[in-house]
Parts: sequence; C-alpha cells; structure tokens
Amino acid sequence: MCSVHDTVEFEKRGIPATVIITEAFKKTAVFQFRAKGMEGHRYVQLPHPVSSLTREAMREVTLRYVDQLVRQLTA
Amino acid sequence: MRNGLGFVDPTLAAGKSKVELAARPADLAGKVVGLLDNRKEQADVILQTVGDVLRARYDVARVVIRRKEHHSKPATGALIDEMAREVNVAIAALGG
Amino acid sequence: MVGLVDEFEFFLEKEWSDGLPVVIPTEERIERMLTGTRRDPYELIGTIPPAMGEATVRSVAIHAVMAGCKPEFLPVVIGGLALMLREEFNLNGVQGTMHGVAPLMIVNGPHAGRIGLHGGNGCFGPGFRANASIGRAIRLMLMNLGCGIAGVASATIFGSPIRYTACITENRERSPWESLAVSRGYAPEDNVITCAMVESPRLCFDDTSREPRRLLTGIADSMTAMGSWNMHTRSDMVVAMSPEHACICANAGISRADVHRMLCEMAGRKVRDLRGGGNWRRERALALPIKVDPDDDDCFVPAIKDPRDLHLIVAGGWGPCTAVCHGWAGHTRAVHGIYEV
Repeated sequence: MCSVHDTVEFEKRGIPATVIITEAFKKTAVFQFRAKGMEGHRYVQLPHPVSSLTREAMREVTLRYVDQLVRQLTA
Repeated sequence: MRNGLGFVDPTLAAGKSKVELAARPADLAGKVVGLLDNRKEQADVILQTVGDVLRARYDVARVVIRRKEHHSKPATGALIDEMAREVNVAIAALGG
Repeated sequence: MVGLVDEFEFFLEKEWSDGLPVVIPTEERIERMLTGTRRDPYELIGTIPPAMGEATVRSVAIHAVMAGCKPEFLPVVIGGLALMLREEFNLNGVQGTMHGVAPLMIVNGPHAGRIGLHGGNGCFGPGFRANASIGRAIRLMLMNLGCGIAGVASATIFGSPIRYTACITENRERSPWESLAVSRGYAPEDNVITCAMVESPRLCFDDTSREPRRLLTGIADSMTAMGSWNMHTRSDMVVAMSPEHACICANAGISRADVHRMLCEMAGRKVRDLRGGGNWRRERALALPIKVDPDDDDCFVPAIKDPRDLHLIVAGGWGPCTAVCHGWAGHTRAVHGIYEV
C-alpha cells in the first residue's frame, strides 16, 4: 500500500508524516510499516464505510480525525 | 536458511534496518503542511477538509496539495523530494 | 521424517504456505533444479514487493522445487517472474489490493510444448504438472519473498482460485490462427511469455451460434458487467476462445485481428446500463482515458479502452465455450517478452 511507502519516505527525509487509511487496509498498513523499518508507526484509520459516503458525509467524518492527525505530527 | 534439519528453509528473514521517526515540532503554528493525494476515491475531499481545518484552527502558514499518478503506485522520489523541500509536515491519503 | 521434525508439517505451518504440501527443498533437489538453467545461481532476478525479498536464481529454484517443478520448467518460472517485476506491471499494487487478480502467464513458443505445458482440455484446471507447478512456484514466491499474504500485506477480500496457480499455453494444434506472441510480432520460434493481471475465468457457453457476429455478441457480453473493473477503468482482459469457437470465425474468413477488433468494438455497455449498480461513479467515467459523457444515458462505454489491453488466445478443448478473464482496477499494464531457455 503505497501511501505507507510515501509516509516512510517523508520520515527518511526528516519530514514528520502520517497516513490516513481505511479499515480494510489496516493489516496491510501495519505490515508495510514493519517491512519498511518503522514498526509501530502511527496512522489514522477512518471508520467503515468510506467509499460509499457522500462528499458531505465524508467531510463530517474527517472533521472528527484532524486532532488525531495533528497529535501524530507534533511532539 | 540452512539448519540441522536436512532441508533448506527459504522463509524470508524478518527485520530491516530501522528508520527513525523524524523530529516532531511542538505545534503546527506557522508550519507548511503537505497533503499527498493518491487519487483514491474520497482522498481529495478528506485532504481538502483536513487542509481547511488546519488553516482555520491550527494556524498553519500554508497547505500544499499534490496528487500522485495513481493510488496503487508509490509517489516518485522526485515528488517526495519536491514536497520535502517545501513542507514541514506531511499527510498521505488515502491508504486503501 | 528427518529427526523429530515432520518436514511436511514444517512447511504447512508457514505463514506463506498456500495450504498444500510442498516438495521438501533439500540441497540435492535444489542442485538438480538448477541444472535447468545456465544462469548463475546467485544472479539477482529482482526483489518482490512489498516485503522486497530477494529472488536470486537459486531462491527461484528453491520455490520451483517446492512447487513440484521439473528442472526444464525453471526457465519459464525465472522468465515469468522477471516480467512481473517490470515497473509497468505494478506487482506491488496487486500484492496489496482488495481484488483477487493474479498474474496469468500465457506461454508461447516451442519450449512450452517441449515441457508439457498444456493448452487443451482443462488447461485452466488441475491435472497438468507444468501448468500447475510453474504457476504455483510464482505464487509461493509472491507469498514468501513478497509477503503477499491475505490478512498480512494483502487486503484481498476473496483471493480467488487463480491465486493458486496461473499458467497456460494456447492450443496450437487446433487453433486456426497465429499465436498471441506471433500476433505481436514475435517469431514463431521465439519463446515468449505474456503476463496479465486478471481474475479467474468466467465461462461463456454458446452452442447455438453458427455465425460469427452472434457468437462474438455473446462473448462481448461476457466481457462486461456492472461489477467488472473493466467497465470503470482501463484494464486488461484475456479472452480464450475454444478452438471450436475460433473456427466458427475462421471458417467464415475472419482473421484473429478481425475478431480482436470486433470484440473491442462490441464489448461495452451504455451509461444507462452501468450507473444503476456496481462500481459506477461519475468521477471514474470522467477519469477514463477515452471520452465518456456520464450524463448521456446513450453513451457507450467500451470494456476495452486500448486494443493492446485485450489478450486474445485460442485455448481449451474442443467445445462451445470461451473463457473470459476480467482485469484489475489498478495501474497495471500487461507485459510480454522473450525468456531465455
């Protein structure tokens, strides 16, 4: 899952990074972080469903996770 | 791979060299935030929303959005390098 | 048994096991397998994503042993893997996808026949050692060296039977046309592999048509579905016509190239027949590499967006059936090339 790869590439360049994922890819994300030498790296997992939501509903869901994103990017 | 068992075990050895977490800033005030959109459905609205909130509530200086070629491919080194020169933190979406 | 270890249980318990026993890879068996190639055992073929395990000639040979290959199958395994590691094939994407596609190998050229690769009756099913073991060797590497394991690195929802093994050849004895490789410009004596990311075949029966257009209408119908990614993205597709179906066309004077063109033109659905279910999204239609108006119910959306994406072969036994393998939604393009024997 390439967004994990991208996240690790940012970290390697000294840029704090995180990734937003869906539930279906949680195990893949955990594996990918471990395989790329960043075992335990945090991520933000959106609740199911995602793909079938309207854009407005997607905005509403996303609003609830911005704090978590910020916590993962700051000390 | 070799063992005392009389056959070869080709199981991939676990473990890679560790990558250290980049140092985190205390907060995002005045920072430039990079948002990497992998073109998966909903990634654009998710990142747009994140960018809006970061500007409104977290005092970030600027939000930079870039789009990848396709969600099933990693970003090119050139794209990551370009973003890394411009941003202080980054968020990738949507892993799925 | 060796000592107190049951070697079959040892491998069956591995996370990367495909659930079936393997041929135990002893040094003797590995050395014997390596006689099937002139290449240096420590030559690196590539690394298999996402775990990036190294596939040297020797490690390929080990997996070929486990899969049940004979030494003369090894060049096909090496050649197939090398093709799959090409960037445009995007093996990394398929290893993690929710879909159940697998890299299907279509092997053309004289070596296929020499090693007993089967393209006749039952070629997609069990019973043929070369088909079964070559495809299985690839799968074992994708799972072990690449860690494309369901529930680990792979989010695959169902997997699919084609993920056990996926390697066939054409039915050259009864085909009325040139092979897939020759149609692409290779010489008949070239040993060529084509790899395409596809689903398990769905079978399109037609024992009624005597006239090509009616036959191809039915086959074209099997190339479309609301839930097929071929309708919503640019995707590869394999169409394997049985010799009987191919001959209905050939006997009417229709060439392979004509059938290819006709299927590309005929296979598709109008917007009104797509948007009511399945994976239809307006944004997806607008993102297609061809012009589609998602607001025009009469707009025809072809299943094949680029003629290079349709891989037409003649395979299977004599009988009124064509096998159609739908493709993936990711960014992958089928690959083909000559492999060294």
